Amino acid sequence: MRLKIKLFSAVISALILTFTASAQELQGVKIDSDTISGLGARNIGSAAMSGRISALDAVQEGNRITVYAAAASGGVWKSLNGGTTFKPVFDKQPVQSIGAITIDPKDPKVIWVGTGETWMRNSVSVGDGVYKSIDGGENWTNVGLKDSERIAKILVDPTDSNTVYTCATGKLWSDGDERGVYKTTDGGKNWTKILKGANASTGCGMMSLDKKNPKNLYVGMWDFRRQGWTFRSGGEDANSPSASGLFKSTDGGVTWSDLGETKGLPAKPWGRIAVTSAPSKPEVVYAFIEAEPPRNGLYRSDDGGQSWKLTDRGSAMIGRPFYFAHLVVDPKNENRVFKMGFSMIMSTDGGQTFSNASGGTHGDLHDVWINPSNTDQLIAADDGGVWYSYDGGNRWWKGDNLPVSQFYHVSADNEMPYKVYGGLQDNSSWVGDSSYPGGITNSRWENMNGGDGFWMFADPSDHDYIYAESQGGYINRINRKTLESRNIQPLPNYKEGKLRFNWSSPIHLSPNEKGTLYLGSQFLHRTRDHGQTWERISPDLTTNDPSKQKQEQSGGINPDNSSAETHCTIYAIAESPKNVKTIWAGTDDGNLQITRDGGKTWKNVVGNIQGLPKNAWVSSLESGHFDEGTVYATFDLHTFGDLKPYIYKTTDFGATWTNLTGSTMRGYAHVVKEDSVNQDLLFVGTEFGLWISLDGGRKWSQYKGGDFPNVAVRDVVIQPRENDLIIATHGRGIWIIDDISPLRSLTAETLTKEAAFLQAIPTQQRFPASGGWVNGDAAFVGNNPSDEAVITYYQKKRHIFGDLKIEVFDATGKLITKLPAGKRRGLNRISWSMRLPQPKVPPAASLAGAATAGPRVLPGIYTVRMSKDKNVYETKLQVLPDARAKYTAEDRKAQFDLSLKLIDSLGDMTFAVERLNSVKSNLSARMSKLAADDILAKQLQTASAQVDLLRMKIVATKEGGMITGEERLREEMANLYGSVVFYEGRPSETQTQRADALTNEVADVMKDFDKWLATELKTINSNLTKRKLEPISPLTREMWEKSGEQ
Amino acid sequence: MRKTLFGICIVLFLTMSVSAQTADEIIAKYVKAIGGIDKIKAVKTIRKTGKFLGGGGFEAKIVEENRRASFIRQEFALQGMVQIVAFDGKNGWKIDPFGGKKDVESLSEEELKGVVEGADFDGPLIDYKEKGNKIEYSGIDQVDGDDAYKIKVTLKNRDVRTFYFDTDYYVPIKLDSKTFVRGQEFDSETIFGDYKQVEGVYYAFSTETGAKGSPGKAQIIYEKIEVNLNLDDTRFNKPSEPVKAAMPK
Repeated sequence: MRLKIKLFSAVISALILTFTASAQELQGVKIDSDTISGLGARNIGSAAMSGRISALDAVQEGNRITVYAAAASGGVWKSLNGGTTFKPVFDKQPVQSIGAITIDPKDPKVIWVGTGETWMRNSVSVGDGVYKSIDGGENWTNVGLKDSERIAKILVDPTDSNTVYTCATGKLWSDGDERGVYKTTDGGKNWTKILKGANASTGCGMMSLDKKNPKNLYVGMWDFRRQGWTFRSGGEDANSPSASGLFKSTDGGVTWSDLGETKGLPAKPWGRIAVTSAPSKPEVVYAFIEAEPPRNGLYRSDDGGQSWKLTDRGSAMIGRPFYFAHLVVDPKNENRVFKMGFSMIMSTDGGQTFSNASGGTHGDLHDVWINPSNTDQLIAADDGGVWYSYDGGNRWWKGDNLPVSQFYHVSADNEMPYKVYGGLQDNSSWVGDSSYPGGITNSRWENMNGGDGFWMFADPSDHDYIYAESQGGYINRINRKTLESRNIQPLPNYKEGKLRFNWSSPIHLSPNEKGTLYLGSQFLHRTRDHGQTWERISPDLTTNDPSKQKQEQSGGINPDNSSAETHCTIYAIAESPKNVKTIWAGTDDGNLQITRDGGKTWKNVVGNIQGLPKNAWVSSLESGHFDEGTVYATFDLHTFGDLKPYIYKTTDFGATWTNLTGSTMRGYAHVVKEDSVNQDLLFVGTEFGLWISLDGGRKWSQYKGGDFPNVAVRDVVIQPRENDLIIATHGRGIWIIDDISPLRSLTAETLTKEAAFLQAIPTQQRFPASGGWVNGDAAFVGNNPSDEAVITYYQKKRHIFGDLKIEVFDATGKLITKLPAGKRRGLNRISWSMRLPQPKVPPAASLAGAATAGPRVLPGIYTVRMSKDKNVYETKLQVLPDARAKYTAEDRKAQFDLSLKLIDSLGDMTFAVERLNSVKSNLSARMSKLAADDILAKQLQTASAQVDLLRMKIVATKEGGMITGEERLREEMANLYGSVVFYEGRPSETQTQRADALTNEVADVMKDFDKWLATELKTINSNLTKRKLEPISPLTREMWEKSGEQ
Repeated sequence: MRKTLFGICIVLFLTMSVSAQTADEIIAKYVKAIGGIDKIKAVKTIRKTGKFLGGGGFEAKIVEENRRASFIRQEFALQGMVQIVAFDGKNGWKIDPFGGKKDVESLSEEELKGVVEGADFDGPLIDYKEKGNKIEYSGIDQVDGDDAYKIKVTLKNRDVRTFYFDTDYYVPIKLDSKTFVRGQEFDSETIFGDYKQVEGVYYAFSTETGAKGSPGKAQIIYEKIEVNLNLDDTRFNKPSEPVKAAMPK
């Protein structure tokens, strides 16, 4: 009885849960990611600059090499052909930051991924544990350590695939228990912590395993912490206590010995340690140890760690240890060792001396794979992607196919087509095409600056110029044609010390005044003359907390002060589009300031936000487009270890605030944007994706259209003419959702309908054009927007049974075409080529390729009708000429008319050939009824040859599959048709004349045929009748048209 | 109220039992949903006539004929010329007239692989064991936001086909195909729709196929599906000369 009651209450609880869930739905309508994701997104890359690859692994099976590239923030990419082509295989997983990847040495189908990169720079992302795939990356299972956030290495016991070790580095911004070394002996089902750090900020920094005796493990434990304003690798400084250490186990992790006191190793404290045991001679162990100079450097042991010798501490060895603590030893030669660094360096003498082995790579190398079957073949990972060397690291090929670029910000101009602008982590600032005939290849992107890139804009007052910046507010104004660059950064006043510019200093263009530009340090700077002069329009708007301004002490054991830790800076700026004097500034240390008098007075309103923790980083500000008092703000607390999003809105200049944070949203928030047309349509980018709200922020759905992954969305911008949403991802390049206007009309009322068409911008008939050239298979090419008329509709449920018919009618009500309809629930997008049916062309030796497309309909208003079940829905579609067109509507009409005339002529020609063929086949049929030597048979044969001669005047007949070059009236007319149809301005006079000439020449052949019918066929029919054979009637136009084949 | 609650409880338990289904159960429900095994097996030949839409207004007429157990013939007509690809259970052949050559040619290895699969009259799920296919229930996944049962089929030739079944109606709404050609993987996806009944069996009258992740998808709309016509051997056997096309030139 008790059991029954228990069961019953479980059912009731489930019911309540069900009801609660459905209460969030709109009268039974499911509104979720898939309601909105029918608007696909296209990735325009680029792979020109690519992005940071944190780890990689590869395996040679037979003669083929399979490569897995683990991106710092762009998922896992797999190549089955040694890197010629890659496909992303981790996109459906909730995180995209990868720290470690390992192929099971016994079974190359088993792949282990440790999520969360451990090259702990300021912008590093977050993982959620260990993943395993048993089918070569097709499917993944999270097998644990979900709270570890970052993993540096996974090693599989080469003798037992179920025994796996994970080097969990752990949380960067806060203490955390889930870090250290973990072991599973059941293939990942259960994990045991086998090595724990001495404090809550110490995790596993690197790990190595003896390939010959896999119970021998070497581990570098690492004490580290980052805060918004400082970083330590090791203790607070070179001599402060640090829990970093080097450990060895000889029993698979049951017991450990601290090698810290071992002979030859430097005195502690230490920072990050790289350790590796040589695969071919495992007693040779290398350890790079971060310590106070001159104790830092590379140490070598020849006795499995019992004693060590310092072998190298050159500047290439010791640089930036927290970022480059990784050593790789040749699988065949224990004396050939690679150290990752700004440049990768290689020793061939057991670590005594090193030389550069990174050739023309990007630099900032993090991993290298050495092919055990050919140790001259290397694949390397760095901040610019994946690289290939076939000569042992002297010279390198660039991989051009990984669009894992890490954008911080994006903007767009108003060119036709528009260009996008954006800066990237360690990869400068680039301008790229939003579309280009043939696709957006890497060559359609151009680097315009240098360093790390962040905000970037075309100068709205002079399109020849671009504003771009590198880290620390180093802003340049660049001539886009000559690439001449001028630094215009505001500088400190007399004895002022340093202006504090954030790593990613905000540049903001005034929405009211063309040419007015803001830049934030601790002050807000404004220029109205392209940076020639700057006004400071604010006092220090930050907390100016001196304890957060000790960047020169940042780094821990070794200094690391790259401006990444510069704090107490302005991070976000927004001028109200409704009033030039209302300006908002948000700081990285938690102030949110507003001026309503153009900068004379400022007020910090952050204290009015209920529930917002103190000192939250103001990661973005968006002034309302409709109301001066409105601003949206995102706040980021991940630098305090809080990964949750915080999104707020005020409509009264900051006096009161509404929390818009969605309950289903994941990841710290980078950006919020309000649509410029529908103020209920909002966009939020977080570390784990893009969220869209249709109701002003009450409910949010994650956008997953077009295979958009769960990647960090750092910025979004709407191109106002095209209504395109341009998404800057930090790890997967730029994506574009073309024409988001359907989202604007996806109102509550629409959502309750069974189906409805949604508003779209008028369609321009883009010029037919071809561009680009063959790229081979090894290059990324970004997709263009559709050049067809895109029709968007909503349906409440998936369509499975019966017809879903979509028809297009012209202004007179004439049916132009029927279109196949999309079936999915929610938004559907289909496209209409706007082309009439292709012309009828008579059969001949080969295809007339120029005549396989119909002419495009004239610009105008068309009606689209959808018939679904018993309901009919209609919408109007406005078709416009390409806005760049120089020709008039009359010119276009002349082109269209000539196209139709040529279609008619080709149709006449087709009938003519069918008519000839009908006589010819009848002649053959009669012949078959006569003896071969029958005089009538011979007469019929002669007649057949005569008919064929006429046919051969019209169509090419030479076969054989070669380039015959044979062109008759059919081929000439098809080519003429093609040249008229694919240029939509006025046809040339010579084309018009040629159309007449060819039409007449076909008519001439038919006149000859009519004569032949009147004379020769008449005689033949008379002879046939005499022999009691049926006379021959040539195919008539009426018969042909009735056959439905015209 | 009691009644309603009881009804909801039943629904809940049904849902629970549904989630514990095996691949065989799902296939059995699929067979039932599209008409039942008797009606399916009663179809001995089939001809599908329709059009191929390749994007940019490109349109061609197509005919696909199948005969039990493994005969197939596909025609693709443009400008009065007809491309034929066929297989008679032993030989695969084609006539490709568009390049100025109308000779009968043998199919390449990968072309043959394609037609052999297309010739499997009832598809890879029905009688999968006899065909040497392996099936596996891969759980519930989503197709454009709708729940779908995933059945992974590993064909005898190692290619993998993953069917997504609508959870209400048990008809496939999507198919993922992984095809191996000389060691390289090719991933494509097909969306099925416009299911209609012909002689008691449901067929998808529209399909949309393309490489995974590519915006360009080819669509096929069948205007007519006929069953149990007389389709003799000459339509499928490799001819010494081109045979007559099923569609008018």
